[in-house]
Amino acid sequence: MTVPYHLVQAEKESELVVKLNELTRWHFENCHEYKSMLEKSNALLEASCLEEVPFLPVQLFKQMNLKSVSQENVVKVLTSSGTTGQQVSKIYLDKETSIVQTKALVEVMKPILGNKRLPMILLDTKSVLKDRKSFSARGAGILGFSNFGRKHFYALNDDMTLDVEGLQAYLKEYEGQRILLFGFTFMIWQYVYKEIRDKGLNINFNNSVLIHGGGWKKLKDEAVDALTFNHLLSEQLGIQEVHNYYGMVEQVGSIFVECTEGHLHAPSYADVIIRNPITFDVLPVGEQGLIQVVSELPKSYPGHSLLTEDLGTILGIDDCPCGWKGKYFSVVGRIPRAELRGCSDTFQGGVRL
Amino acid sequence: MKIFWPKNVNFDNALCNLNSQKLSKPFAEEIIAFTQSLSRRFVRMRSMPEVVALGYWLRKSNIKQMQAEFEKATEGKVVRGRGTAFHIAPSNVDTIFVYSWMLSLLAGNRNIIRISSKTEINELLQVILEELPHFKSVAEQIIICTYGHDENATEVLSLACHTRVIWGGDETIKAIRNIPLAPIANELAFPDRFSLAILNSEKVKQLNNEALDALLEQFYNDVFWFDQMACSSPRLVVWRGEKIESFWTAFERKIQIKQHELLAATQVLKYSTSLQLAAESYVEKVAPITYFSRIKLNDVPANVREQHCGGGLFFEYEVENLIDLEQTIIDKDQTIAYFGFEKPELVELVDSISTRGIDRIVPIGQALNFDGVWDGQSFLTSFTREVIIL
Repeated sequence: MTVPYHLVQAEKESELVVKLNELTRWHFENCHEYKSMLEKSNALLEASCLEEVPFLPVQLFKQMNLKSVSQENVVKVLTSSGTTGQQVSKIYLDKETSIVQTKALVEVMKPILGNKRLPMILLDTKSVLKDRKSFSARGAGILGFSNFGRKHFYALNDDMTLDVEGLQAYLKEYEGQRILLFGFTFMIWQYVYKEIRDKGLNINFNNSVLIHGGGWKKLKDEAVDALTFNHLLSEQLGIQEVHNYYGMVEQVGSIFVECTEGHLHAPSYADVIIRNPITFDVLPVGEQGLIQVVSELPKSYPGHSLLTEDLGTILGIDDCPCGWKGKYFSVVGRIPRAELRGCSDTFQGGVRL
Repeated sequence: MKIFWPKNVNFDNALCNLNSQKLSKPFAEEIIAFTQSLSRRFVRMRSMPEVVALGYWLRKSNIKQMQAEFEKATEGKVVRGRGTAFHIAPSNVDTIFVYSWMLSLLAGNRNIIRISSKTEINELLQVILEELPHFKSVAEQIIICTYGHDENATEVLSLACHTRVIWGGDETIKAIRNIPLAPIANELAFPDRFSLAILNSEKVKQLNNEALDALLEQFYNDVFWFDQMACSSPRLVVWRGEKIESFWTAFERKIQIKQHELLAATQVLKYSTSLQLAAESYVEKVAPITYFSRIKLNDVPANVREQHCGGGLFFEYEVENLIDLEQTIIDKDQTIAYFGFEKPELVELVDSISTRGIDRIVPIGQALNFDGVWDGQSFLTSFTREVIIL
C-alpha cells in the first residue's frame, strides 16, 4: 500500500466529495465573487459525486483577484508563468493553505524520493526566488521541491548559462550517491541538455533521479515527446530515472506524478475528470478531453475545482501495473487558441511606429 | 512589402504608374463591367456565405440603383473622384476591403489597398487577381499589397493619397492618425462598434413555428457569420416586454441544425466570461449552455461592451417601452437589428437618443448587410469632390 496512492477510486471519491463540498460551502461564504458565480449560474452547492462539483475555468484567476481570506492573512501570492504582455494568474495563499500544500507535496513525492533528503541540483537559476512574498510558477515549484533535498546547488547562472565547473565539482563531491535533480522541462532541454550536447561537455548525472514539470508546449514545437526526452537525457546525461509531473500554480501541492510505468497518477487529495471540450460533459476512460482538476487543498482561494485548458485522457482506474490505485492519465497538450474573426484589429498586436 | 497586384513591379514604380493614370468618370462603363464579372464569380462561392453576400451586393440591379441615386443627387453638377484612395483593410472580415474598394472605384478613384499581413492569398483574392487582367483601366488603377508594421509604407502612402480609409480597431485608428496625411487629403475611419437586437415580446409570442423559424434563421446569420465578432453582429438582445424562453430553446435547435462549428477555446472563453460577469452587480443571472451563453442584465453600463467575447454570448435586457432604451445607447453603439416594431417608433427612439450612438436600424437578418452609407457617412460623397463651374 503506497500512501497517498492507496485508495481505490470508489473509496477515494466518497471521501473527496465530502471535502470538496465543504470547500464549495466555505468559498461560497467567504468569497463574494464565487458566491455570485454559483448563485447566478444556478450551480449546485452540494454535489453527490465528484463530477457534480462546480468548476471554474482556470483563466478566471487571470481576469480576477479571487480569494476567500482577508488581505491581511495573505502570506504569499503565486503567479503563473506567462509571456510578456499576457495576463498572469494570481493565487492568494494564507498560512494554512500554504502549509497544507507543502505537506501534501511531501507525501505525493515520498513514494518516489523516500524519506531521506537527497543532495539536490536545481536545474534553474537562484534568482527566480529573489522576491519572498510573490512567486512565479517556477519559483513556487522550486521552493516546494527544495524541501526534498539538501546542499542545494543551482546549475544555471543568472544569465542562463550552465555553471559547468560548479556542476562538475558538485557531482564529484557526491559521486556514488543518489542525487535529486529538479527543473522545468523546457529549461532542462534548452539550457542543460542542449548546452551539454552542443559543447560536448562531459557531465554524467548517473544514479540521480530527475523530477520535472511545466508542460511540453515548447518542446512540441521541436517535435520532442516524453519518450525522446527521457531517451536523450539518459544517453547524453546518464540520467536513468525520470519522473514528469503535471501541476499548476492554481493547485500547488496536489500534483500528479508519473509512476514507474510513466503514467500520471492522482494522489488521494486530488483527482482529474475529463470533459468533452465542447459540451463539458464527462467523458469515459480512454477518451480525450479537457482536464478538470479537483483538490482538497485550496482554502484561501476558490480553486478546489478547476477546468484547465489542457487536453488529456484517463488511461485507467485502479489497475495501473505499478500498483498505485485510483485514476491514471496522460496529458497531450493544450487546446488551440481561439481566433475569432472580427472587423477590428487591422494589425495584430497593434501598430508599432 | 508584398505586392499582389500589379504583378512583377516594385513598390515605387507601381505607385508612380498608378498616380500617373487619368481618373475614370464615376460609374464608368468598364468599372461597372468589372463589378459584374466579380459579382458572377462571388455568388457561386457557396462555401463562403459572406462572399456570396458581397456578390449579391455587386449585382447589376444594385449597382444600377446606386448609379441612379448618385446621378440624381449630382444632376447638373460636375463631380469627380478625389484622386487616389488608400484603404487599410481589417485583418479578419476579409470582404470589407472589396466593399471599400468597389465604392471608391465607382466614384472614379485610383485605389491602393493594404490587406492584412495575416491574409494568405485566399479564394476571394484569387478571383480578383484572375479577373483584373480583363479590365485594363481598372487594372492600371489598383495596387493590392501587404506589409508589416515595421515598414514605412503607411507614411509614404498617407502622403501620396487623397483619401485614407482606416478599417479596424480603435487602437489602429489611434496609431494611424499619428501618421500625417497630405494636407489636401481627407480621412474615413471605422472604429470598434457595438450592436444590439431589439425584439417585441408580444410579436414574437404570436409567431407560429414556421415564422419563428424564419426569424431565427435570420438571427442566426446576423450572429454567426463572423462568429459574433463583426461590429454589426448583435451582442445585446433587448426585449420590449418580458424575455421569451421559447425563442432561445428554438434558437438552440437552429444552431444544432446549422451544424455550427464550436471550438474548444471559444467554449472555455464563453464559460469563463459568463462567470466573470456573474460577479458584477448589474448581472442578474448567467446561463452558459453549450451553444450560447445568456447574461441577464438589470442595467447596461458602458463598459459591459468591452467584456463581450464573441462566439455566441448574449447580454439580455428588458425594457417596458422602446423609448426607455434611449438611456443605454452610447457613442459606440452602431446597429439595431429589430423585430416587431414600426418605423415611427424607431424614429422616435432615434430622436430621443442624446449620444452619437446608432447609425443603422435594420430588420433582423440584415445586420451584416453592407451599405453605401456606413457609420453615418456616405462613401460616394466622401470619395468624390464637386467642381464648381460658374
